Amino acid sequence: MKKVLIANRGEIALRVIRTCHEMGLATVAVYSTADRDALHVRFAGEAVCIGPPASRDSYLKASTLIAAAEVTGADAIHPGYGFLAENAEFSAICEDHGIKFIGPSPETIRLMGDKSLAKRTMEKAGVPVVPGSDGVVRSAKDGRRTASEIGYPVIVKASAGGGGRGMRVVQDEAGFDRAYTAARTEAEAAFGNPDVYLEKFVVEPRHVEIQLLGDGQGTTIHFGERECSIQRRHQKLLEEAPSPVVDEALRQRMGEAAILGADAVNYEGLGTVEFLLDANGDFYFMEMNTRIQVEHPVNEEVTGSDLVEYQVRVAMGENIRRRDVTVEGAAIECRINAENPFNNFSPSPGMITAFHAPGGLGVRVDTHAYAGYFIPPYYDSLIAKLIVHARTRELAIRKMERALDEFVIEGVKTTIPFHQQLMKDEAGRAGQFDTSFLETFKLEPVEAGQEG
Amino acid sequence: MNLSKIKDLLRIVAESGVAEVEIEEQDFKLVVRKSVPTVTLQQAQAPPVPYYQPVPYPPSMPYPAPVPYASGMPPGAAPPAPAAPAPPAAAPPAPAEASPSAKPSPSASESNGAAAPGASETIVRAPIVGTFYNSPSPEAGPFVESGDTVKVGDVLCIIEAMKLMNEIESEISGTIKKVLVENAQPVEYDQPLFVIAE
Repeated sequence: MKKVLIANRGEIALRVIRTCHEMGLATVAVYSTADRDALHVRFAGEAVCIGPPASRDSYLKASTLIAAAEVTGADAIHPGYGFLAENAEFSAICEDHGIKFIGPSPETIRLMGDKSLAKRTMEKAGVPVVPGSDGVVRSAKDGRRTASEIGYPVIVKASAGGGGRGMRVVQDEAGFDRAYTAARTEAEAAFGNPDVYLEKFVVEPRHVEIQLLGDGQGTTIHFGERECSIQRRHQKLLEEAPSPVVDEALRQRMGEAAILGADAVNYEGLGTVEFLLDANGDFYFMEMNTRIQVEHPVNEEVTGSDLVEYQVRVAMGENIRRRDVTVEGAAIECRINAENPFNNFSPSPGMITAFHAPGGLGVRVDTHAYAGYFIPPYYDSLIAKLIVHARTRELAIRKMERALDEFVIEGVKTTIPFHQQLMKDEAGRAGQFDTSFLETFKLEPVEAGQEG
Repeated sequence: MNLSKIKDLLRIVAESGVAEVEIEEQDFKLVVRKSVPTVTLQQAQAPPVPYYQPVPYPPSMPYPAPVPYASGMPPGAAPPAPAAPAPPAAAPPAPAEASPSAKPSPSASESNGAAAPGASETIVRAPIVGTFYNSPSPEAGPFVESGDTVKVGDVLCIIEAMKLMNEIESEISGTIKKVLVENAQPVEYDQPLFVIAE
């Protein structure tokens, strides 16, 4: 592998370019006309304009990406995250053109992309999955029987559903029939399909995921877990490693379970297995992400690893030899978005007039932003990731507070003030939260002019 | 010096090409200055060339709709190359430079010295990424050369991407003023290819 085309933009494009350059690989950046002044364009060895601002005409357009690889002679494509990173067809197109797609095979991507197929595959491999009915529940009677097998509380979910509709939580058998009927009615109204299935309702679930690396040649290792329960509308805002509630024994069990699942599909590349972890310490497979993730830095910090480097090496055909991954200290990542947290997190694109990133021991900022950069309105609002690493979680929190106070971004609204308040939250500091945390978190309004 | 002498003097000064006379006698001094209109020869000035700034990106700038590019379509059906985006209305006039060498937009191809198009000139830009070919085959002559007249629909060049030869047709009629890229050169999206004068 000699030249990598990074089929992405923003901070992750810069992230990949950095490691490629350290590895002595040439890089090609691609950019839409809205990204002419982007940092990844400046720092890549070469850059190719691939289309107008809209993603579907540029970063999502497989033909233009392949053409860009051809004219520059790139022999590998790194898809980053989002865009075409988990697009099985794109992975196949790269293969067809003799370009190495830095990620798993099209078959693996397809398999893990189908959520119920993925669940069945994991279950067969021996990975604990959220117990549930075997498909659609046809009658209240059948449902009640399945529910007692699973164990209450259970959740009735619409098969054709999503967005929280057509769902009912049932605490005990007495409430089952009513919930079953109500869910079916709502499902019919919302999706035109009344079919429902059952799942165990995981109480106070935490979203904990295991970072994996497989070489597709028989070896898979993990880099510990990430706690990602701080989410707003299913978007992660803050992540940490290790999870404050996962001890070494649980880490080992979760890691082994994740590896079991990855080995079942002979996984090649970086991947993440997401689990729901309940208050009893039981965990259940949710889904697998077959790409590098936004929050990969926290595992890098606590294990001293360059995950992008490993990802590229595995793509080059190297075998995994490292066995000594240990988790040391604690790392926290805050996602800094160009959004106004005091106005319902509305997006705030525009010109960054001042930009000073914090520094110092154990402080890392992954960003593509700079003073004078115009944040285009066409893409996601992530402008920087602030990551800290310290010997203990308490020290990491203190360091994050200091770093947030030092972070200056002017000209656009950012979520820095939100994170500053989050760091002061008692439950958060104590590590006592689950995925419902942000539903009840109250953001204190600030006086105009103090919004940072 | 009496009044009639002064009158004479004034008359002489007025009738002559003299601009200034100073007479000094014992007890008086007379200075007569004629205001001579200076004649300046005006050079015929070219109208100020609009200086094409790279458009400072305002999100409200209407961007020409990208023509959905379908490769492999038969000749005559290939979508035309989009025209250059309109310059901002408040573009300042050319600074005091010898020749208008403003570039139409920042792109990797600046070194080819694309001059700012005049009012009736259009830049044809690459609608896709690929390799530019100026002729239908290595043995054949070029599709167009500088000086050729083209009409709407005429094939200007081929851009090859992923082994597919995509014919780029002209969206306008006019004369090829300049060919900005060379045969077998890789081109990126939006890269200027031709200047056509209408």
